Amino acid sequence: MESHSPLYLFPLPRKTEERPIGGQHSLGFYLHGIEGPLEDDVDGASIINEDPGDFPPETCPDDLQISYHDCRFIERLTISEINTHTILSLTTGENSPENLEIFQKLRDRRRRERLLEANDTETNWCDATSPNPSGRVRHRSRKQTVNLHEVWNWRELGHGLKSPGLGRRGSSCRRRGRQLEPRRVRRDIVGRKWREVRELLQKNRPREEMSLDRFLFTNLADRDDDIAKVEKELSAEEVFARKKIKLAEVGMSLLEDPESNIKCLKELLHICNEKDHNIAKLGLMSLVAVFKDIIPGYRIRLPTEKELEMKVSKEIRQTRFYESTLLSSYKAYLLKLIALEEDPSFHCVAVRCMCILLDAVPHFNFRENLVAVVVRNLNSSDDVVRKLCCETLRSLFTNEGKHEGQVTLEAVLLISELVKAHDCHLHPDILEVFLSLKFDEDLGKARPKENAKVSKKKKRKKYLEQSNQLPSTDGKRRKHELMTKTREELNADMKSVSFTPDNDERRAAQSEILSAIFGTYFRIIRHCMDSSLSRPMLNDISSIRLGQHPLLGPCLTGLGKFSHLIDLDFMGALMGSLKKLAGHSGSHCGSTSNSLTVSEKLQCCIVAFRVMRNNLDALNVDLQEFYVQLYNLLLEYRPFRDRGDVLAEALKTMLWEGKQHDMHRAAAFVKRLATFSLSFGSPEALAALVTIKHLLLRNSKCRGLLENDPGGGSLSGLVVKYRPDASDPHLSGALASVLWELSLLSKHYNPSVSSAASSMLSTEGMNPSQTQAFLSTVSPTKAFEDLTTEQELFKAANKKFSPSRKIKSGNEFVLMNAEDVRKIESVVDEDVVEGKFEEHFKLLKDFDENERLRLELDRTSAAIRLYGEYRQQKKLKRKAKEDKKRKCL
Amino acid sequence: MGKLGKKARKFAKKKLQCVMRNNRKFKSRFKHKAASVNKKGRIGKSDSLSSEQHFEEKSVDNTIDAAAFSNCLDNIYGEDDADLMENGSEDESIVLQDSDCPYISDVELDNDKDSGEHAALSESNKDIHIKIVEKKQKLDRLLKKVPKFSKFLESRRADLQKSKNEDDSDDEGDTNYLNGVSTSEEHLNNRRVINSCTVDLWCWLVIEQPEGPALSNLLNVFQAACFYGFDLDEGQLHEFSDKKVFSKVLMFVLSEADGIFCKLLGVADSCSKASILKSMNTSEWENVRPFLRSYLKSCLLLLNQVTDGQILIFILSRIKSSIAFFAAFPSLTEFLIKILVHLWVTGEESLALCSFLVVREIALKLHSNWYDSCLMKTYKAFIGHSKFFEPGNHKKMDFLQNSIVELYSLDLQISCQKVFVSLQQLANILSQTIKTMKKDELKKIHNWQYINCISLWVKFIVCNIKDHDLQRLLSLSILIINGIAHLFPGLRYLPLRFKCVQMLNQLSFSSGVFIPVASFIFDFLDHNENITDTTRVKSCDFSSVLKVPKHLLKSCKFQEECIFSAIELLSAHFSQWRYHISFPELSTIPLILFKRFHEKLNNEAFRRQVKRFIDQVEQNKEYIERKRDVLSFSPGDLAAIDSFLQMEKSGCDCSFSKYYDSIQENSRSRIAQT
Repeated sequence: MESHSPLYLFPLPRKTEERPIGGQHSLGFYLHGIEGPLEDDVDGASIINEDPGDFPPETCPDDLQISYHDCRFIERLTISEINTHTILSLTTGENSPENLEIFQKLRDRRRRERLLEANDTETNWCDATSPNPSGRVRHRSRKQTVNLHEVWNWRELGHGLKSPGLGRRGSSCRRRGRQLEPRRVRRDIVGRKWREVRELLQKNRPREEMSLDRFLFTNLADRDDDIAKVEKELSAEEVFARKKIKLAEVGMSLLEDPESNIKCLKELLHICNEKDHNIAKLGLMSLVAVFKDIIPGYRIRLPTEKELEMKVSKEIRQTRFYESTLLSSYKAYLLKLIALEEDPSFHCVAVRCMCILLDAVPHFNFRENLVAVVVRNLNSSDDVVRKLCCETLRSLFTNEGKHEGQVTLEAVLLISELVKAHDCHLHPDILEVFLSLKFDEDLGKARPKENAKVSKKKKRKKYLEQSNQLPSTDGKRRKHELMTKTREELNADMKSVSFTPDNDERRAAQSEILSAIFGTYFRIIRHCMDSSLSRPMLNDISSIRLGQHPLLGPCLTGLGKFSHLIDLDFMGALMGSLKKLAGHSGSHCGSTSNSLTVSEKLQCCIVAFRVMRNNLDALNVDLQEFYVQLYNLLLEYRPFRDRGDVLAEALKTMLWEGKQHDMHRAAAFVKRLATFSLSFGSPEALAALVTIKHLLLRNSKCRGLLENDPGGGSLSGLVVKYRPDASDPHLSGALASVLWELSLLSKHYNPSVSSAASSMLSTEGMNPSQTQAFLSTVSPTKAFEDLTTEQELFKAANKKFSPSRKIKSGNEFVLMNAEDVRKIESVVDEDVVEGKFEEHFKLLKDFDENERLRLELDRTSAAIRLYGEYRQQKKLKRKAKEDKKRKCL
Repeated sequence: MGKLGKKARKFAKKKLQCVMRNNRKFKSRFKHKAASVNKKGRIGKSDSLSSEQHFEEKSVDNTIDAAAFSNCLDNIYGEDDADLMENGSEDESIVLQDSDCPYISDVELDNDKDSGEHAALSESNKDIHIKIVEKKQKLDRLLKKVPKFSKFLESRRADLQKSKNEDDSDDEGDTNYLNGVSTSEEHLNNRRVINSCTVDLWCWLVIEQPEGPALSNLLNVFQAACFYGFDLDEGQLHEFSDKKVFSKVLMFVLSEADGIFCKLLGVADSCSKASILKSMNTSEWENVRPFLRSYLKSCLLLLNQVTDGQILIFILSRIKSSIAFFAAFPSLTEFLIKILVHLWVTGEESLALCSFLVVREIALKLHSNWYDSCLMKTYKAFIGHSKFFEPGNHKKMDFLQNSIVELYSLDLQISCQKVFVSLQQLANILSQTIKTMKKDELKKIHNWQYINCISLWVKFIVCNIKDHDLQRLLSLSILIINGIAHLFPGLRYLPLRFKCVQMLNQLSFSSGVFIPVASFIFDFLDHNENITDTTRVKSCDFSSVLKVPKHLLKSCKFQEECIFSAIELLSAHFSQWRYHISFPELSTIPLILFKRFHEKLNNEAFRRQVKRFIDQVEQNKEYIERKRDVLSFSPGDLAAIDSFLQMEKSGCDCSFSKYYDSIQENSRSRIAQT
């Protein structure tokens, strides 16, 4: 009997470890024992009563309260030993019948085991030993282990015996805000309880022994293969559980007193090398939790040799030892993680661990390695891993305070290298990360001004000093120099002490980040432009799945977002390439000139406008080519293939927000948009109408389109007649046309579209002073969103229908031809029906007859069969008679 | 057992034979059932089984998806039949009173030789008969040879019978069984054989004096006739001497009963419901009620039993004329509706139409109580029946849709609510799908059931929007159709999208609102670039599929179908607005795209078609532009725009409408070809 640890504490199926280790509670599970006894021990039953089925609430990873939730979770697990069903549902989320079956067996087995264990508790309680790295078996302090197990046992008993005093005490203890209680006090309370438990246990022992005898008897009686099998499973389970307990204990001790127990880290690391994958994973996860908790808020610098030689106090030596151990084991751990990341079975866990660490302690040593791995996994084909890495990086970018922005720079640089290395064929998520970057725009401007002021003042001061104080005494000068010197020193000291980084440094870092980002963006754009030359020969499936230019979308979005930060030097080149990308090729069949989709082209136009607006407002460069592009893209747009929201966005940026438009261009757009809305769905139509209205209001001359003025041609300039298929808005001659479309649009089925159209037609509608307010509220994008099918369906589904008042209760046919219908009835010939009835009768009668005849046949044949029987009987009788006769004779 | 036992025995004597027979057939189901105390309940149950079985058998014959269909029908019918039976048994005593009435007992045995129709069965009967004769002879010989054997046989006979019957009636108590046998045997002696003279006499009497006792006798005989075959005739009081008598009884009662009852109740021939309700309380009504009930119930049983189409139609037409009487018997009405809906959904053309007419009659005459139920039942049956598409099913589906629309159009006040709820349900499914975009959710939309439902309501709206305010229904259905079209991009779903366009065109045409559909058609114009596969594919009919199989995508036929359908749909759209002032603008973008498409197209036949379409549209466009040029009003003048070319609109000798007609003609002939 090697061990009888309280197995029933962890009646978990193997399956548990395979599920994603995402939720807080699952993490908590791995750390079960670590925190359990630290908290006041809780009467599990009361918890169960409070909250039987739910998972503990999610908490933020940094939150120390984690321990409390973990504790609760473990407690529930403990108690739910009574109900295997709950455990399964808690841990795996599913109750497959096979699982339950196995568990039934295991549970029975465990019960027996428990009885056995109770028998020799004294000898077995110290079994929670662990082999040291050195190989020696080390007995843990007996008291501690005993107590630990007693706690579990007590819970079990407390539940079983329903001891009211204990229960009440437990819950009352819990009610006292445990978070505020000092640990030591809590430990005392726990200790006291343990003692009580032990007494209780002793009292109960005899009874259990009795039942044990009975059990042994029965057990020996029916030992068959089945049990052997179960035992085999069980022993594996047993080992697993024991290791888990050990893990928990070690982790607990570490958290309890990291300074003195720092060596335990090595032990934990050793566990991670287990052959059993599950245990190893548990070990990894436990270590993450431990590190997250004990890593200090500063970077550890190992003492130099010189420093080591110096004589230092005991405390310092201790601290040094602590720090160096921590650092070395952390390093070992990271190495292990990085190594395991290659292993497919550990990949997910390893990446998750690293993400947690990077998120929690980005300031600490070796973060570079962490960042490298996380960035590399941004392109993972596994959705879960990729999302995890993305989230980690986003939180890194948003919480720069944790690491002073250094990691951001590293990550951005790494990403840009990754993009370069993969020749722009990566998952779009990789660039989405950039969108959560924040740039402090004041940094760049505020500082130079200050400098200028200071320098001016200084100059004047110096000048004055030079002019006035030159003849002053040496002593004064010396004094002055001393003062400035000390001030400088002081400043330097202050700077070194204060944690806020220098503005200059931050600015430098920011500009480096920016240049990396834009470098990446430009690389992608350049790649897209000459993609026809270098189609990747990668036979990688992922690149095929991703489409032709996977990164272009997020790249353009990013450019749009950070367009105000682009350096003026790049502007020209950027605009040129955007123009090319947008498909400015002269021919109207744009699709052949390059392979970009309509949405992407529209995005290019949007970005170009954003960039120009943000930077070159003063220059007022006309983006004529982009207008031409948009004008033609309106024909290329297909509602099922292209993104309508991008189109609406383009309308908004280019036409709706645009400051002033050339009269011809505006008219051309008005006409084309009106025509466009006659062919496309209502969201697009409304977005177009909003834009038209805006254009008409801004350009008074375009309002002529609303009037059927035969002399309108006077404005049209070169082109007298409207040409709807012109590819250049300037040459369309739209001013000569009339907006007849609006009259048809006012019959549109969608009430918003029809009302928008008719409001434009009415004379008041176009009065600028009145509609200004309405106009400013609705943008094309908003209009588009309002009318998307989803929104409309949602609105429609929630409405109630009140029927119309018009009633017509006619008995006329609506669809069918009444004559035809009535003919049907007259078709039926009564004679025929009569005949059919006769046939029907005949059929039924024949059936009947058949039935009867069959019965009779059966009867007769049975009678004939009976004859045989009869003859046999006769024979027997005759024989009997003969026998009799013979006897008589 | 007491009272119940007596009653049960009486019931058993009538029904048990059939139950036993059924049990033999479906032994596996009922074998291990313990003998229950409540005989009546059991009988009801087994009876329901028998009729359920009957229905199942029937539906196997008639329905396409019998398995799925019978599933939902089973329990409904089961319960109902039990109900009906129980009610019937209570009534029995009243109807069964045999008052003294002339009865001619001279039995004329008829020997009909004309068994051409059911030769197979008769043949087998004859064979069996011959065998029996042979065996009998053998037995006789044996008996003659060994006289003692007859004694032995006698001694064993009871044994033999018993053991045999025990096999059959597993769950019957022995005592009960013996009782039943004895009574039934006793009964056999009492059975009256009805011959034609008796029937003629009774008929004459009934016509002469309806109040007389002959009516009850005749109705009893009618009931027996309806039960004939359904029950074993041992249980019946009457036996029919020949087929003529049988059909005579049925024909006479079916055709005359309605008039007789009207006469008895003293109402006009038209039998309006109001008069029935008025006469509800009179003593006459009390007298007639049991007869009426017996008659109607027998009719329903006959309806349930007979499979021949013409008989069914005849019965239905008779039931239709006396539909007003059903108002007094809700349970019978419910049963009737169920049978009708079943026949309507599964029956062949004229039968389905007939049963629908009866349903409509119910909806009209028994409006207040049964309209709702009619609406729901027909719609449910339609949904259940519209899951799959069969090539020959098109007409049937159309008929079902039409009849539902007819039914729903009777009273829009009530039906609009139902339609709106149904549409909302469809919208909910759609919005759920748009949110999740999961594959199995998409399947919920992309099936015939969903499409048939929405097209049904489109039909309903199209029919009624002119006279009613159905704006809400209209906008919701447009929304749903748009949503469906957006949900399934790609060339493969072109048939589904074209169907959507068709529906939108219909809605637009009937309601006069403008619904842009051109964009639904554009996307295929971009795709057709390199059709290389000109292999002979049989056909590719868009009306019978929702999703084109992959191997057809590159085929020539598919392209042809695309082009023709697109042109047809667009011309339908254009022809609606061909006289609208903004026709030139409406056709601008489609024209530009079609011209580009035309340039790329390399098949000469298709090019010609496309060219013709472009020319026609352009011609109309120029015509409108010419007319427009001389106008003086502005787009703001909506009244003037409405009157624009109103004159021309009324006449239909415009070239474009001619073109559209020819297009339609083409497509019809194309469908006929396939």
